Amino acid sequence: MPAPLAAGRPPRRAGRLAALGRVDRRWIFLLVGASVALPLLRPLHLPIGTSREARAYHAEVERLQPGDEMIFSFDYEPDTMAELDPMSLATLRHAFSRGVRVIALTNYAGGPGIALRILGQAASEHERQYGRDYVFLGYNPDYSATMLRMGESIRSTFPTDHFGTPSAELPLLREVDRYADIELLVTVTASALAEYWVIWAGGRFGQRIVAGNTAIQAVLIYPYYQTGQLAGFLGGLKGAAEYERLIGRDGAGVRGMDAQSVAHLLIVCFIVLGNIGYFAQRRSARAAGDAARDGEA
Amino acid sequence: MKRTGPVLLGFVIGMLMLVQHFTPDRWIAERYNNILDWKQVVFGLTLILGVVSLFLYHWRRIARREEGWRYSLLTVGGLAFMIGAAILFTPSRGPYPWMFEHVQAPMQSTLFALLAFYVASASYRAFRARNLHAALLLSAGVIVMLGRVPLGEAIGLNHISTWILDYPNLAAKRGVMIGVGLGMTATAIKIILGIERTYLGRGA
Amino acid sequence: MAEELGILVGALLTLAIFSLLYRDNPFYRAAEHLLVGVSAGYYVVHYFYAAVIRKFTVPVFQQGEWWLLPGGLLGLLIFFRLRPRTAWLSRYAIAFYVAAWSGYLIPSVLQERVLTQIAGTIPDPAAAAPWALAMSLLVLVGVASILVYFYFSAAHTGALGRISRVGILFLMAGFGASFGYTVMGRVSLLIGRFQYLFEDLPRALGRL
Repeated sequence: MPAPLAAGRPPRRAGRLAALGRVDRRWIFLLVGASVALPLLRPLHLPIGTSREARAYHAEVERLQPGDEMIFSFDYEPDTMAELDPMSLATLRHAFSRGVRVIALTNYAGGPGIALRILGQAASEHERQYGRDYVFLGYNPDYSATMLRMGESIRSTFPTDHFGTPSAELPLLREVDRYADIELLVTVTASALAEYWVIWAGGRFGQRIVAGNTAIQAVLIYPYYQTGQLAGFLGGLKGAAEYERLIGRDGAGVRGMDAQSVAHLLIVCFIVLGNIGYFAQRRSARAAGDAARDGEA
Repeated sequence: MKRTGPVLLGFVIGMLMLVQHFTPDRWIAERYNNILDWKQVVFGLTLILGVVSLFLYHWRRIARREEGWRYSLLTVGGLAFMIGAAILFTPSRGPYPWMFEHVQAPMQSTLFALLAFYVASASYRAFRARNLHAALLLSAGVIVMLGRVPLGEAIGLNHISTWILDYPNLAAKRGVMIGVGLGMTATAIKIILGIERTYLGRGA
Repeated sequence: MAEELGILVGALLTLAIFSLLYRDNPFYRAAEHLLVGVSAGYYVVHYFYAAVIRKFTVPVFQQGEWWLLPGGLLGLLIFFRLRPRTAWLSRYAIAFYVAAWSGYLIPSVLQERVLTQIAGTIPDPAAAAPWALAMSLLVLVGVASILVYFYFSAAHTGALGRISRVGILFLMAGFGASFGYTVMGRVSLLIGRFQYLFEDLPRALGRL
């Protein structure tokens, strides 16, 4: 008796679905590129909601009074500036518009170039004066020692500012010298530095802290927000867009949100298609196995 | 001298930095501040050593005409140009900040942007619901991915993604965090007591 | 003019890096090596200024803060690593650095990463509403079961095995959330580059 071939042969549709798994990855790259490029060229203007964490971050800056001091740490390098520059710019615009005085620094050697560009832009928009309204202390090696030492004396930690001016000669630093004189510390970071600011500036000196994070880092710091060790945080470009909406000044974060939505949708489609292909392949392999067993029988 | 000396130094310095946390003694507080200052200098010089090693590696490749030595010329040339620019024009103006803004920053950020393509490709090829655990990971990933962007908010997925982030994710991250925290503490104690010496290199 | 030209150069280098997506090629390799050289040059200038000039020569030689001298000497020891015969001297610098870090890490990490996190996990029945209390219990179950999962001193069989399997479920949900956010981060970086090519570059070309 002939083997029941029709029953054992993998269905043609399943074979086609299984072929989904063998697509040249450059087609995938092309689709990803298009999913980001098209919404940037033709925006969809999707509504943007705000998260509780972003509102808490905003409220912390909002409660500062004119003349209050804020430490702003640019803890990132060019690799993540697409996510973090919009946060830094929006925060500094917000702070300067409220008359808050800013002591800026960076814990990364790649940070000074970014800090100078963003500080310069925000300060010139609000006509802030260097030395009186804001200072840039530059890069200091060894973040943990820097954070701990600043609790004792900012002037000793940074004997000069980024440009070589002695810290004691800067009007702003003549008035403030330690965390106790600072209302709020903002770190915008691509690494675990938000956590380290919490451990060494927050835990040891009671400094109030908010953090802007890359999306990858944001997911890790929920425990610190739940315990109140962080007063608020922003996560990724979406966090930046939320903050831009909260201060009423759209920027690169808001402009990027449509592309972010479409690209995410595409990647979800990839996951679904990849799984359809995988299950089809598994089914056809099982069917082929059954046919072979039937043949042997 | 080669082994005991560094371990002994580590014990004294480590104990001093530990004890200062529990005492208001002024002498100890001053030594603590001194050590923090020294530590920054040591760290900065260690980073400089890293750049010197990078230079020597590429210099040797050029000198021996190893495969790809012409690319090493670009590395050594770029390094020398930046140092020269900072000395001749100061780091605040001229070619040094220009090179950062228009050469380093675009390339460094593009290199990381490439990962968007690879993560999409990996999602297509490797992200499979093979079993319950993988299906759970996949579902949480998809919900968070969509729930955190305007498109997902429009269909109400943000509420589920917020719940995932606030509770199961929080528990996962906290569990790992506490475990790592305990591990870091145990390792630090072993380093101070000289039990853990692998960080000193071979033969220590 | 220099700014506009810079954006043009930046755009060309951006495309050189993107060319890797098609296949490995000499443009990509050249750009990659140039990036390593330029960024190392950028960093070393800041390392030198911050560590040698600002934290050492200015305070010691201009302000008479001689107590910084040991730090400089310890730092110089690290360069003995370059010669195998003298490399052991660098161990003093490394031991100093790692031990100092270990010393101040212990109390702070125990307090902020362990004790405060445990305190945050304990539900407060008096303060919480029923839903919040239920969620606090969920977090407590998650944290406890994950800690059991990472406990390797006993075989994961019986009750221990069942609890650790619950821990795996929480970990998977957490990894899923991390994956979702990772995709978000990577896409954001790509958006940044496309904004550079589609917004900054045409503006700069228009001004040239």
